[in-house]
Amino acid sequence: MTVKVEASADAIPHNTLLIVGLIGSIVCIYLTYLNTITGLDVFSFFGGIGAIIALIWGTSTIKRLCSYGIGTGVPSAGMVAFGAGIIAMLVGTKFGIMSPVAALIIAAVSGAIFGYLADSVLNMKIPVLVQSLAELSIIGALTIMGFTAMATGDFTFGVLTAGTISIFGFAVPAAQASFVGGGITAVAFMLGGIAIQHPFNAALGPSNTQDRTLMLAAECGFLSMIMMAIISFAFISMGSALLGLLIAIIGWGYTYAQFIDLSKRDAADWLDAKMIVETED
Amino acid sequence: MSAIAAKPAGGAEMPKGPAAIAIVLLLVVVGIGYYMTMAGFFTMAIFYSLIGIIVGGMLVTFSVHLVPVGGAPAAMGQAPGIATGVTMLAAGAGLAGLFKGAWAAQFGYLPALGTGAIGGALLMALTCMFVNVTYVYGMGIPSASGKVRNDPITGDSQDEYKSQGTEGHGLPFISYVGGVLGGLIGGFGGTLIYISLYDAYVNGLPTLMGGTTESIMPIAVSVAGIFAIGMFLVNAVLTAYNITGTIEGPHDPKFKRFPRAIVASAVASALTGLLALMIIVPMPF
Repeated sequence: MTVKVEASADAIPHNTLLIVGLIGSIVCIYLTYLNTITGLDVFSFFGGIGAIIALIWGTSTIKRLCSYGIGTGVPSAGMVAFGAGIIAMLVGTKFGIMSPVAALIIAAVSGAIFGYLADSVLNMKIPVLVQSLAELSIIGALTIMGFTAMATGDFTFGVLTAGTISIFGFAVPAAQASFVGGGITAVAFMLGGIAIQHPFNAALGPSNTQDRTLMLAAECGFLSMIMMAIISFAFISMGSALLGLLIAIIGWGYTYAQFIDLSKRDAADWLDAKMIVETED
Repeated sequence: MSAIAAKPAGGAEMPKGPAAIAIVLLLVVVGIGYYMTMAGFFTMAIFYSLIGIIVGGMLVTFSVHLVPVGGAPAAMGQAPGIATGVTMLAAGAGLAGLFKGAWAAQFGYLPALGTGAIGGALLMALTCMFVNVTYVYGMGIPSASGKVRNDPITGDSQDEYKSQGTEGHGLPFISYVGGVLGGLIGGFGGTLIYISLYDAYVNGLPTLMGGTTESIMPIAVSVAGIFAIGMFLVNAVLTAYNITGTIEGPHDPKFKRFPRAIVASAVASALTGLLALMIIVPMPF
């Protein structure tokens, strides 16, 4: 039994973030289904928003797990989240309209089993480990699914594996032009992985505050969303991809400014360093 | 603030109750796989793929225990090993092997597995060499183990070279050998996972998606690759949780903990492997 040492007292309890993150992320991913209903693809950006909501929740989970001192560094929690999440997400895409819910259930069950193995078989003896690894697996699955929905406008296996290339003006089906066949799952995997590993790892330490950590999570999420928006130009119409890119850039700019403000608030002092003056010989 | 502090090292014994539950879980998952084979969802080859994934996962887990991981103390020259975390090193060695093995997958099982093993070992050998170059010529410290008095292979004494107040530093010969062996076994295991999945998808996806083998090849390769990476990371992190912090190599007392990690990894690999193979089962949606 390890001793729990809180990095900082939380203004928002973790359970509130859990419920808001879970529901918000699922709802946002389902909003991309409006694409299929209306026949447009302007609603794709909701996938990215859903991924960011999941990442904010994930940062809170990592903070809660790492307050017990897991001894292997903060990024390992992010790696297991996405390792388990990608498997649950890709299997989940087989379930058609039920995909996000199926991915959630598969991730929760497999994450809980990994948590049990780490907690009891490997003798970690951390009280929140089972719940945390189950949460992290769900977060991994929902983040990758959100980014996938943002890039392609859909989250079903059939659409993700179907692509066309144009040869002399004729559209020819080609799997290598699809989201999965082109290996973009790996990019989505790493973009999400970076966004979940960084925030708590960077913001931990003395005078860690919850709002600053979560703002950094949102900032990292929007940064990854910019990348996904650029990738989405290959799969969805120009206007929709531009809309996604615009939202991602505005969101990133806002959260970045907010994060700098919060850092200035928490810092002991803020000195504006000037560029080094070059002297002429 | 304990988020970066390592927790005290636990014992090496395997807890009996949870281990029994883990083995029952493993049998249940393999049983589901066998039932699906009998019911006609899987061919027998796919069931063998599941076994291949489990064996590959167990090899990966064992290999990670051999790699000398120093973590943050090693970066300051206060502990032997490579100055990064278990997960990162395992992912580096295993994925280097996996990519090499994937490149050779078209030549059949033996060349692919051999190439994967050599790829992982080569990466670890180069990493260990440059770690020692940095320590010896950059930081000016000799290689000395803190856990044993004499190197088990060369018999060189270690105590005289160890600085006071440290647990040893640099990469002694036994740690180097452990690192290369770890890369060899890890690359082999990672490639075994990949090639098992690849075989199952190349045979299963054309019937599912109604295309020729050539047209689904990109899907088979990328899905097998991403699943292999996912399984590799799950196994590496479970091993990292078993080691908790740093390990010097095969002579470290923590090395004796590997049986329980292998039990955990067998269950985790069986579960993720079964899920990954479900991709080729047609769903009524």
